[in-house]
Amino acid sequence: MKEQNFTITADTGVHARPATLLVNKAGQFESEVEISYNEKTVNLKSIMGVMSLGIPKGAEIKITTTGTDEEEALKGVEEVIKEHLGE
Amino acid sequence: MDNQALAKEIIHHVGGEDNVQSLVHCATRLRFTLQDPSKPNKDKLENTEGIITVKESGGQFQVVIGNTVPEVYQAIGAISNILEDDKKTTDASTNESKGNIVGRVVDVISSIFAPLLGVMAGAGILKGLLLIADNLNWLDPAGSTYTILYAASDSLFYFLPLLLAVTTARKFGANVFTALTVAGALVYPTIVELEAQDAAIDFFGIPVVMMPYSSTVIPIILSVIMMSYVEKLSNRYIHQSVKNFLTPLISLVVMVPITLIVFGPIGVSIGNGIADALLAGFNFSPLLAGAALGAGWQLFVIFGVHWGLVPVFINNIAVYGQDGIKPAATASVFAQTGAAFGVFLKTKNKKLKALSGSATVTALFGITEPAVYGVTLRLKKPFIAGIIGGAVGGAIIGYGGTQAFASGAPGLLTLPIFYGPGGEGFFALILGITASFIISAVLTYMLGFDDPVEETVEEANTAIKDDNIESVDEQIFSPLEGEAIALTNVADPTFASEAMGQGIAIKPQTGRVVSPVNGTISVAFKTKHAIGIVSENGAELLIHVGIDTVQLDGQYFTSHIQQGDVVNIGDVLVAFDINKIKEAGYDVTTPIIVTNSNQYSTVDATAENQVKEKDSILTLVAKD
Repeated sequence: MKEQNFTITADTGVHARPATLLVNKAGQFESEVEISYNEKTVNLKSIMGVMSLGIPKGAEIKITTTGTDEEEALKGVEEVIKEHLGE
Repeated sequence: MDNQALAKEIIHHVGGEDNVQSLVHCATRLRFTLQDPSKPNKDKLENTEGIITVKESGGQFQVVIGNTVPEVYQAIGAISNILEDDKKTTDASTNESKGNIVGRVVDVISSIFAPLLGVMAGAGILKGLLLIADNLNWLDPAGSTYTILYAASDSLFYFLPLLLAVTTARKFGANVFTALTVAGALVYPTIVELEAQDAAIDFFGIPVVMMPYSSTVIPIILSVIMMSYVEKLSNRYIHQSVKNFLTPLISLVVMVPITLIVFGPIGVSIGNGIADALLAGFNFSPLLAGAALGAGWQLFVIFGVHWGLVPVFINNIAVYGQDGIKPAATASVFAQTGAAFGVFLKTKNKKLKALSGSATVTALFGITEPAVYGVTLRLKKPFIAGIIGGAVGGAIIGYGGTQAFASGAPGLLTLPIFYGPGGEGFFALILGITASFIISAVLTYMLGFDDPVEETVEEANTAIKDDNIESVDEQIFSPLEGEAIALTNVADPTFASEAMGQGIAIKPQTGRVVSPVNGTISVAFKTKHAIGIVSENGAELLIHVGIDTVQLDGQYFTSHIQQGDVVNIGDVLVAFDINKIKEAGYDVTTPIIVTNSNQYSTVDATAENQVKEKDSILTLVAKD
């Protein structure tokens, strides 16, 4: 299992568009990919799940990947977050 | 294409009338069983206007039509003999013309009960445990602990009309709370008192015959169905601004008296008629009367007309110290138990196995609701097997002259109430209930039933797809009034590329979003511009009002919901100011996206250009 924390700096938080990017990226991997915010954890492969977290600007989130390609999965998600959402 | 032309096309392309063994339909599909499954022209059918897609599953050839499927089904019946043939092969009895209507009524009743089955099984088990506790003297039935636990276990059964009001209202699109209020009035304490008083009652001079409505099924279902029409009518003619309270007002004023005035007399006179006929029958031929009661008792219970007989039992016990009628009803209880057990033995569907297993156990203790409404009636044939088994058992008990010497709901633990001097009647009772149980179980096993196969088929698939959520066909209704456009024509690549899922978009003409499904709010953005809903059937929907409107940070939007709210079709979710949003420079086009589209084989958007709130806009077809 791999995990990494990120801070969301995008003004509008994780709304529909970035959620879609994250979910589509996560969906490219075999591994289970999960996102945690505010003590809630959901599947990063479900748009509705990700949006239900209501992640705002400034939020601390954690990405967890588990599976055969967990390393690549975490890296892929990290790229999307850095490019569109924060650090 | 009109329904008749479509029906003609369908018959032609499935290989003609002669190729059709049977035809049934569900919410969206025509389900054919064909003589020769290689005959149909799938491509032709799929390209026919009015047909969404065609699937083959579990030996059935399914033509997915959408929510107009009942009309197309009717049209097929009108222009061919397919529906008549169907009846001949499945039902050789004489009342063929009724077969279809009865079948549909049963389907409606089953679907109304479906959401309640879990809690019903739970309450049934608790009730059974209490009976055991009472029998073994662990709990004093006069004590307060027992009273509290009994209330917990019996609440569902006593207030059954209230629960059914909710599920019926959902099914027929009536206001759930109004329906619940109507049901509450039927079991309101002063109304119950009126019934008990036995005095002449009238409503503005119209005589009202009271019957007890607690635990009844049919009156509230019919009442709510009728109410759904009353609501539609009044919604059409009443102005928007006062609709909110005027429609419920009218529904209450109309439906509560009508229900009491109409159902009371019908229920009571049928109940009394049955009671008189059976009493006369027991004098004439206890064997035949016993058979009739053993066969019919559960049916009487469903319609609530068994209330005509209950006072007879009680009166007989009170006056003569014994009653020779109720014992035969016991056969009916064990017959349905046996039928549920037969289902338990035969089914390959895990869910149904668990349900029928627990239903069998609770039914043994006399709590038959889960067995009847959850298992045998739903599958139809097992219910009939139960009627046959009940008739045989009832005949034995009637012939044996079994007497009941005390009151009590018939069940395994209450068998001692039938034990009297000599014990011969008791022997007949044991013989009768054993026969009912075994005959019903064996008949159910032999006759078989339409085992819900899809889930097991899907289980096999899930192993490969790693997709363990079952999807079912579903209709999505418009959350907005406006112009419908294809999602791919939305001026935003995230939506237009269908990366979030398939769907449709609407250019709104009025500034409010209503719920497109019955479901739960899963996402209520702080910025109010987007709403996520998971429907009760599992569709995940995102309604995104406007493009880039996240930037407005909630300005010009008013939200009426919170995450976790349960909503019904037509409930207002969000209001917004179209003009202000446009003035601020945003496109108000609203994509409605099925974010779990990958769980459906088809997401079909309406061909209409202009849609009103609650018009059907998307048809989701489940994967098989």
